[in-house]
Amino acid sequence: MLTVYIDFKSPAAYLAVSPTLALAERFDLAIDWKPFRAIEREVPKLGKQETVGESHRRVRAASQRALSVKYAAHQGIDLRFPPQPGSTDLALGVLLGIEGDPLPFIRGAFNAYWEAHADLDDMAVVHALLVESGVTYTGSLADARSVLDAAQMQAEEAGIVGVPGYVIEDQLFVGREHLPWIEEIARAKVGA
Amino acid sequence: MQVLHSDAPLIVYVDVKSPYAFVAIRPTLALEQELGMRFDWRPLTLDIPSYLGSAEKKQGKVVSSKGRSPRTWNAIRYSYRDARRYAERQGLVLKGTEKIWDSRIPNIGILWVMQTARDKLGDYFDAVYPPFWRRELDIENIEVVTACLEQAGIEASGFAAFASGEGSALHDELQPQFHPSGIYGVPTYVLGDEILFGREHIPYLRWALSGRQGSAPDIAYEIA
Repeated sequence: MLTVYIDFKSPAAYLAVSPTLALAERFDLAIDWKPFRAIEREVPKLGKQETVGESHRRVRAASQRALSVKYAAHQGIDLRFPPQPGSTDLALGVLLGIEGDPLPFIRGAFNAYWEAHADLDDMAVVHALLVESGVTYTGSLADARSVLDAAQMQAEEAGIVGVPGYVIEDQLFVGREHLPWIEEIARAKVGA
Repeated sequence: MQVLHSDAPLIVYVDVKSPYAFVAIRPTLALEQELGMRFDWRPLTLDIPSYLGSAEKKQGKVVSSKGRSPRTWNAIRYSYRDARRYAERQGLVLKGTEKIWDSRIPNIGILWVMQTARDKLGDYFDAVYPPFWRRELDIENIEVVTACLEQAGIEASGFAAFASGEGSALHDELQPQFHPSGIYGVPTYVLGDEILFGREHIPYLRWALSGRQGSAPDIAYEIA
């Protein structure tokens, strides 16, 4: 079992979906998709009187965005950031109430956020995604945010600090750059 | 010295006090050797308290902390654990530092080695990085850094003068250029007009520096 923590507003999580699925397929690994509310911020505007810390945060955010766009292009994705990062809490909370394979909903939610800049904290939008994806949702949309709050607390207590977060054989990794190590663990499991 | 310009195919910015740079050194040196190229290695001395807050530890316990939220602490702890496990895969020991060190002197040492003994850069990194991360080296002491140079087989008699003169000036000339040039951390790789932070870009660098054949690889921490 590979547990993968995601947030639909995270470009890193979005770009991790395909390589993660490819790895899981190679090793016949089941994936337990879990929500984690990541922090995504706008690139701060250049200030007239920036502190070194403010300048650092602005340059880092701009660099991370540029690299996300670059590697997205390698996957054939035209990554366009919304004017402001939107909340995805409702869609994340819903993820926990899906019975069976949630992948169609996950793909739909990522595409809705990144292609249409949809509001994934909007009841009508998330309901439409559930319908379009054809998944079975047994939870309550009204309770989904509080479900997420509880899951978030559990994830933080488990040491999750960002997305995509991977847990396999009690090892925690944040970022798809760790997939070679995760693959090594998966291979050892298959070999065993 | 211009931050983004070099005659070399790749500029590599590192800082002795960065655990990320520590675990990137050997893979980057290996890439250099694999490609038969000479990269332009340079220092970037991080101002860590300005963006991560500050902290001091004694005997493994945090005795003072400023500007760090619980979430920041969790992220820092994860980062150290992560760097440590990759260091262990390289046969290296990485202990969390007990304070935020001033790495200016060993970083100026990088400039000295690049100017006087380029072939021994890997030896210098071996003499400085692993013992520093085992908490065995006072990198703020110029005599200690000079001894590291000598241990690496590098003539060091002029280093003290360099560190307070030309080397200091070169180091200080670079620092204010970083943020305006889009550079904020280490390791940073400058490939033409591309700025890539982190050793996860090594697969891409290999692909780009060896002719861009086939599809560009994704980010990855390569493991042996």
